[in-house]
Amino acid sequence: MNNLRGLAGRTRNRPRGNLNVLSIAVVGLFAILTARLAYMQLVKGPSYAERSRDNHLVRSELIPQRGLIYDRNGVQLVENVPSYSAQVVPDLLPPESTTPGSDDPRYAIFQKLEQITGTPALAIQQQVKQQEDANKGGEAITVAKHLSQDQAQMLDEAAINMPGVSLVVTPARKYIGGDDFSNVLGYIGAQSAETAPTYAKLGYSLFEPVGVAGLESVYQQELRGQPGYTLDEQDAYGTLIQQVANVAPTPGDNLKLAIDKGLQDYVAQVLQDYMSYGSDNAFSSETARTAAAVVMNPNDGEIYSIVSIPGYDDNIFNDPVKNSAQITAMLNDRVHAPLTDHAIAAAAPGSTFKMITAAAGLQNGTVTPQTSRYIPSTRLDIKGDDGKTYTLIDWEVHGTIDLYQAIAQSSDIYFYGVACGLPATDGIAGMKGLATDSDKAALILGQYARAFGLGSPTGIDLDNEASGNVPSPAQKLKTHDGEPWVYFDTCFMGIGQGDVAATPLQMARVTAAVANGGKLVTPHIVNQVIAPGGKVVRTVTGDTTQVPVSAANLQVVKEGMHLCVNGGACESAAAPGVDMSGKTGTAEFNDELQGGALVQHAWFTGFAPFENPQVVITVYFDLGWGGARAAPAASKIAEYFFQHVKVNQ
Amino acid sequence: MSSTTWSFGGHRTGVFQGWDRFDYVLTFAALALVAFGLVLIYSGASSTYTGPIASLANPAARQAVFAAIGVCLMLAVSKFDYHFLTHYAWVLYIIGILSLVFILGVGHTAFGSTRWFDLGPIQVQPSEFAKLATILALAKYFGDHGGDARDLRTLITSFLIAAVPAGLVFIEPDLGTSVVFMAIWLGVVIVAGARRTHLLVFAGLFIAILPFAWTFLISDYQVERISVLIDPYNDQNGRGAGYNNIQSEIAVGSGEWFGKGLMNGDQTKFGYLPVATKDFIFSVLGEETGFVGAMVLFALFILLLMRGIRTAKIAGDTSGQLVASGIVMLILFQAFINIAVNLSLFPVTGIPLPFVSAGGSSLLTLFIALGILQSVAMRHRAYRQY
Repeated sequence: MNNLRGLAGRTRNRPRGNLNVLSIAVVGLFAILTARLAYMQLVKGPSYAERSRDNHLVRSELIPQRGLIYDRNGVQLVENVPSYSAQVVPDLLPPESTTPGSDDPRYAIFQKLEQITGTPALAIQQQVKQQEDANKGGEAITVAKHLSQDQAQMLDEAAINMPGVSLVVTPARKYIGGDDFSNVLGYIGAQSAETAPTYAKLGYSLFEPVGVAGLESVYQQELRGQPGYTLDEQDAYGTLIQQVANVAPTPGDNLKLAIDKGLQDYVAQVLQDYMSYGSDNAFSSETARTAAAVVMNPNDGEIYSIVSIPGYDDNIFNDPVKNSAQITAMLNDRVHAPLTDHAIAAAAPGSTFKMITAAAGLQNGTVTPQTSRYIPSTRLDIKGDDGKTYTLIDWEVHGTIDLYQAIAQSSDIYFYGVACGLPATDGIAGMKGLATDSDKAALILGQYARAFGLGSPTGIDLDNEASGNVPSPAQKLKTHDGEPWVYFDTCFMGIGQGDVAATPLQMARVTAAVANGGKLVTPHIVNQVIAPGGKVVRTVTGDTTQVPVSAANLQVVKEGMHLCVNGGACESAAAPGVDMSGKTGTAEFNDELQGGALVQHAWFTGFAPFENPQVVITVYFDLGWGGARAAPAASKIAEYFFQHVKVNQ
Repeated sequence: MSSTTWSFGGHRTGVFQGWDRFDYVLTFAALALVAFGLVLIYSGASSTYTGPIASLANPAARQAVFAAIGVCLMLAVSKFDYHFLTHYAWVLYIIGILSLVFILGVGHTAFGSTRWFDLGPIQVQPSEFAKLATILALAKYFGDHGGDARDLRTLITSFLIAAVPAGLVFIEPDLGTSVVFMAIWLGVVIVAGARRTHLLVFAGLFIAILPFAWTFLISDYQVERISVLIDPYNDQNGRGAGYNNIQSEIAVGSGEWFGKGLMNGDQTKFGYLPVATKDFIFSVLGEETGFVGAMVLFALFILLLMRGIRTAKIAGDTSGQLVASGIVMLILFQAFINIAVNLSLFPVTGIPLPFVSAGGSSLLTLFIALGILQSVAMRHRAYRQY
């Protein structure tokens, strides 16, 4: 030990450096760490805490059973069916064999998949590679969709020996109501770019299918139910530690429609049968391309039937990829436009509009039921208030007629007089229009048309309802390149021509208002939303507004319509055992699809019975004459309705 | 600090000599850190170890055994005069260098780096030994040269003494440990009075060669670890280096003020944290005890290091002072780099948190280092008496 001490003696000099530097280093370095720590834990802590939870909690959505849809008698219109698809997760596949030519376990799986699903092994290999190249090997690829039951069973059994491959079952819809329900029920499908943000706000995942059209879309929230989820705690190796939460999904609510399936099918059949009805008749030679009908309760707007021809099979939307050719063809078919619900698409209503013109004239005080006019010819040359001479045409020589007869015979000249006024000529008394000024008369008629619900959607529980159009002088300036509104336009508007456009549903609603004494109802297809247990969640009732026309005046219109069927122009609407009233319409239009040829829409709208009306029936064919095609079809529908439909549930 | 009222007796000789100058505060700080570590190791191992507590397979129990051995070693070493060690400093230094060279040939490779020998059940990490040997060599060198680093030639020679082992561990590759070697050198030469201008030139040269080192010297695996530090989400290999950074960040950050409670860290118990009992034990602490727990740990480290600096201040001679300074720098930089890695301030590198991380080799070395510190502290008065 002495030796060592001696050594030390030589080094007893003191270094010159400053030991405080060490203290500063200690404090400084720990200060850096403290600052960083404070930032991470105290400033960013909450966000890291959330990421920590996301890290180990795996949430799986449980899609609820979608609500079902029944007709008014409980007939089921849609089923939930499983849809099978094959999925591959690249990361879980066996590794690719590196030596070419040897048996590649990965490719063997692709080949087996090809055997079962028909998707080429090479295509699967390419998809897997793309996914891996994009660094998304953990995400599942759907290699085949809509497998048959047999394929699904084969895959389910084979998947045990195919790591990375799984059979996925997703809910799908099978529509069993037939083509005539397609435009009513719609279909479900992927969210679109427009709808996705809305659904995201409602808590939908991007991949959850939603109603795309029809009731499936309008009642999406009710039909959907409440999704459930499982929350699994997983460790870093993907092993399940425990289930933290398991919230079972609540099935969606069922819909009970006002529609009677028997009636709906019958109406569709009648429309199909009458597409070319009366084409031997010189008046109605064209075969109709589209048609629509509405059968409605005039008192509360319950829709007993709403049919658009042609229909389509909404099941094809279950596999839009496979059926893309069919879907594209339907989208491009401008002639039949099967995806358009023609019951809520607008067309010129023609003489059915005279219900409104008559009501307007009566309420306006410019016409009385007894106002009569001698109509000696189908041609009438009139000098308008603008000084020009107009030739007005009627379809028949009516002789001397009053308002009842004018409605019953559907005199055009009489209703020109009601709308735009007729001067006295050749000893025939003139008629007062709604106003002396034809612009003003048009505005008054427009107000009544709007009061009867034209020009705006009826509010029925369907998407994409057309508003139709109520023309006005200001509108004409805009839509006809600055052409001014003239006397003749008001006259034409009075018989539902010109730019007047209305949907069959709107005309049914007008008819209902006439029939029920002035109540404008809101039509509805769904009567009740019913919880899976049977409890009625919601009864759908539409709001009603009052039309500004007295019941007495409407009674005049009603009686005119009653006369129409009983000896007037709508005799073909008469049905055995039914006290029918109605109004035909034959609206001329220039058909773009036929190079602008002048052709006609066929309309009939009526109600029955005359006393205490129970039903409104509106029938529309895109081509044909009202009396020759639409009215006889309506007669068949009326007959069926009173024989078969149970109105009181 | 010494108190004659209760001491074993400052004037006794033999085994009892010098215990009144033994630094109990330093020892307390170290043992508190070890105790803190035992709890964290137990928690950190919970995702992989499910056996009984009292089993040598339990990492926490193993650590406790090593700690007990470590304390014995510390007491034994503190009885040795540190001059005995500085006397043989060159021999120890040569052995250290040879073992570092040797390990590059036959060592055990883990996580892309070759760092230790397998000696039966124990793994021996020669860089731990080499760090102490280098501290002793530097102290010896300056002791023999008048304790003066003002002379440029002396400064450069001392730099080479530290640079050789630093370079060898860098090749392993172990970036963190080579930084520790250079930090030890820096601390020692500052205390030894190196000129500021010389140090600035060294710093300038270092910055100048940095880009070349990045290109030619640092292996791909280090480049990856450094670049994922800058952008942890740009990690081409999935659960690679970036994964470690992200998971430790989440663990520490999610601890917030008070942590999730011991044994309650989700990141820890579900195995998301890599090497939770060793390199990333601070993340366990951050997650389970929060900011408050981290402040307690920092306080213990600062207490320990300040006691080390006190030892340097009262050291009886140059070599004692420099040995103490070197050991302070050793512990300071190991702790700093380890925690910086956990806080994503430094690339992932296999440096354990002194006294806290599981690992016998590291813990024993640290207690030996404390023993040397005690030896310096216990002998300061003795020298003034002679």
